[in-house]
Amino acid sequence: MSENSRALKLAEDNQKLANKRKKAKEKWGIVLDTSKCIDCKACTVACKMENYVPVGFYNYRIWVAEDTHYAKYPVISRSFQPSQCQQCENPPCVHVCPTHASYKTADGVVMVDSKKCILCKYCMTACPYDARYESHTTEAIDKCTFCYQRREEGKDPACVETCPPKVRVFGDLNDPNSEVSRLLAYNEYTVLKPEKGTKPKLKYIK
Amino acid sequence: MFLLKTKLNRRKFLAYSGGTLAAGAMATKFSTIKAIASEHGKQSKEPGTKTVPSACAICVNKCSLFADVKDGVIHKLNPNHNFFKSRSMLCARGNVGAKVPYAPDRLKKPLIRTGKRGEGKWKEVSWDEAYDYIVENVIKLIDKYDNRSSIAFASTEGLQEEFFRHLTSVVGSTNSVRHPTLCLASNIQGYSSVYGTLPDADIANAKFVVMAGSNRAEAFITPDTIDLAKNRKEQTFVYLDPRATKSAALADKWFPIKPGTDMAVVLAMINVIISEGLYDKEFVDKYTHGFDQLREHVKKNTPEWAEKESEIPADEIRWMARKFAENAPASVWYPGRRSSFTANDVYYRRSCAILNAIVGAWDRKGGLIPKSGISLKSHEFIFPLYDRVKNRIDGGKVNFAADVLPEYIKSNKGMPKDEVAFLSEADGSWVLFRDAILKQKPYPVKGMFIYKQNPVESVPNRAKTLEMLKSMEFICTIDIQMSDTAWYSDVVLPESTYLERWDPAHSLSGVAPVVIFRQPVIEPLFDTKSMKDITVDLTEKFLQKDAFWVDAWEEDKAYMEDYVKTFKGVPMSHIIEHQLSDYPGAYKMLKEKGCFYKTDKIPYGKTLKEGARLKTKTGKIELASVRYPEAGLYALPVYQKPSQPPEGKYRFVVGRHAQFTQANTQNVPYLLEAYGHYENMLWIHPKSALKQGLNDGDYAIVKSSAGEQKVKVHVTEYTRPDTVFYLHGFGRLSKWLTNVYKVGASDAEILEDYAETISGNALLHETFVEIKKA
Repeated sequence: MSENSRALKLAEDNQKLANKRKKAKEKWGIVLDTSKCIDCKACTVACKMENYVPVGFYNYRIWVAEDTHYAKYPVISRSFQPSQCQQCENPPCVHVCPTHASYKTADGVVMVDSKKCILCKYCMTACPYDARYESHTTEAIDKCTFCYQRREEGKDPACVETCPPKVRVFGDLNDPNSEVSRLLAYNEYTVLKPEKGTKPKLKYIK
Repeated sequence: MFLLKTKLNRRKFLAYSGGTLAAGAMATKFSTIKAIASEHGKQSKEPGTKTVPSACAICVNKCSLFADVKDGVIHKLNPNHNFFKSRSMLCARGNVGAKVPYAPDRLKKPLIRTGKRGEGKWKEVSWDEAYDYIVENVIKLIDKYDNRSSIAFASTEGLQEEFFRHLTSVVGSTNSVRHPTLCLASNIQGYSSVYGTLPDADIANAKFVVMAGSNRAEAFITPDTIDLAKNRKEQTFVYLDPRATKSAALADKWFPIKPGTDMAVVLAMINVIISEGLYDKEFVDKYTHGFDQLREHVKKNTPEWAEKESEIPADEIRWMARKFAENAPASVWYPGRRSSFTANDVYYRRSCAILNAIVGAWDRKGGLIPKSGISLKSHEFIFPLYDRVKNRIDGGKVNFAADVLPEYIKSNKGMPKDEVAFLSEADGSWVLFRDAILKQKPYPVKGMFIYKQNPVESVPNRAKTLEMLKSMEFICTIDIQMSDTAWYSDVVLPESTYLERWDPAHSLSGVAPVVIFRQPVIEPLFDTKSMKDITVDLTEKFLQKDAFWVDAWEEDKAYMEDYVKTFKGVPMSHIIEHQLSDYPGAYKMLKEKGCFYKTDKIPYGKTLKEGARLKTKTGKIELASVRYPEAGLYALPVYQKPSQPPEGKYRFVVGRHAQFTQANTQNVPYLLEAYGHYENMLWIHPKSALKQGLNDGDYAIVKSSAGEQKVKVHVTEYTRPDTVFYLHGFGRLSKWLTNVYKVGASDAEILEDYAETISGNALLHETFVEIKKA
């Protein structure tokens, strides 16, 4: 089986899984403490391996952004901000999709049904986070699925699991006892571009 | 490109866009990635999914992992959550390991050179043919020079390296040369002279950490990297480096120190701590030797003096010293790893060790901790004692030893001139070793075996390494890819990758030791073997040749027959069981959990117990060394002012990146992509760029007395104006490293080949370069 057919199979399996999980009660989210990020790219590479994302700068599901606060020798201040699809509660990409290829699963993950996608890229334009890419393997728009294939086994998404300092914590926002809920309860946090009204499920601890 | 075309036909009207074209162009660059092994290798058809514990081999850390294998193909390598040493992580390089067996550029068959050296003409041969060729050449060389030491053995660490070392003993050469003198030899020497060992740092529990040049956020992702990042909010982290690396981004304070002056800062901190009475008097009295000498010695090393040397303000040095003492014993001057910086390195590392000792931050929570290990049972072998053997070429008195020292330190009385004072018998000193080969002093070395190491790219002064290879009559390289050194070899043996083979169990020593092992995640895809099999096979071949044994003792052949029997046809799992036989249940734990350990708790204070002795002459922490004066060296660390680049020249420093530490991962497309560029770039400060008439994106020629390279210019505020840098491992000479062959610039090419003569470590920050627009 080639890498391409594996990618296609993964996309199909995830559609089936989403169907199977129609009554799921969870609402998955990620809480990030970016102060720990060292831009080592373990997450981006792990993501590519797990999801058969081909090599190429334009093929990405997740990324690490650099924020340079000040850079005039000898004073340099910068930080790193890993991110990915915000799995918005109010996802503009889903709203604009003319074929209903983009949709939200019962457990709140925004997915793309590659069979319905016509590559019109409205969703890419609508996404305020630039979180979607054109996949040459599925011949559809593709994006982060929180490694949906791992939901059945209860494993963390690849980016969460592999991270050296554990910048990301993954869990069920509906469960008050989950680590994500606790982190949100005891820390001040923010979301990216709150003015867009997208209600992201990626939360950044301040 | 095929896929892109299909898409353009089917959905042309929608999909045709700038983005698509750009992505297509990118795909062309790495088109080779598509040629995965499904088309070439013998891929297992084993259906279903399995999870196999093993360990990474891409860097020295050997993180335990679980491999997800789907239908006989490695799908993903995941971190092992039982393996506390990695803090449950797998770094970027560890992750791309999943692609290593399928890399189109990997070696697949034994090769014998048919064209000229370096021409790249090879014929594929069977293992038998390759072995016969090797055995014939080895015997020829030994006979010709009447000396088994006329064949050198170069290698770098790894779980199969011990079998390469066995091969060295079977052939009977004394000339083995290993990686430490390109890396941490001076660190081992400096710390050992004080504590009898090179310790680790308890970064997880330290409250105040000073790190000088050990770019932990990039060079290696180790437990220390992770603990520094995790402790960011609770810990004070001070970072000294001429470059604003990603470690600097993590730091509370970054000081762009003048390169080569770190020791001035350490001595001044010691001065402040002693003169202000901030040292741990009880600890110093009980556990150390030579404090009074030290007190006198550092009197002149005031923070004001150190400021003039290092350009770090005296007030900041005072602040560092006071904080260091205040937080003790949870204070660490980070020992680091690669220490091949400047000529005074051993004394500098000594001073760092001393700083930690006087505040009592030794073998206590949050300080420096001596490493411990889990002792494994090993097979004992008796290797032949041959007659035709000479002492190692870089050992004992070497009358040209002073030639490897930079000019400015040649008059220093604490630096040996006619030998390497503490040369490791197993490791040698790479720079001096190569010089001895080129000078043929004291005798000719004309054959080489190289395992896993790539001296062409890792030893400073590439032209000289090539000259050395040229002088060889026979070169055999064992590797998984066509390294630059393999490229210039006569025979190349393909090793199975770490995911296709068994490796013996290994104790990772550290603050809390843990045992790992390797087992095949998949069966070998190509006609490859492990180093163990290669050594056993070659030994068998030698046993068939009487000419090989003429200078051996009667019983030596029988010993070697026993050696073959120990390994031939014996599954590695049995060997691992034997290794672990002292620990009931250990093998089971290893196979199930992927690692074996007794406790994950750090055993503090073992060396501070009543009656405990350190491995120093006095058994105490030697602030003043007893051994050093006996060897003609300074008892206490004496500062040596480094030379500075003359007008118009810049100091070139070496550095690492989270995707590339050694020279073995630069060809991996996923890592080049994570790095963000296809080639390495010269970091130069805007003021200096202006002076040299360079703009960002220009190409420049960087030139030293060793060589010159053309490199893309990156104008940045992230470096000192007197210091330039580019990343290691680019500008390669092997055409089979498709993505980096002649792409970017090689640092080995321009690094001048200096070494210091206490530990024999190479000096990679002593090169001054001219920079001109290309």
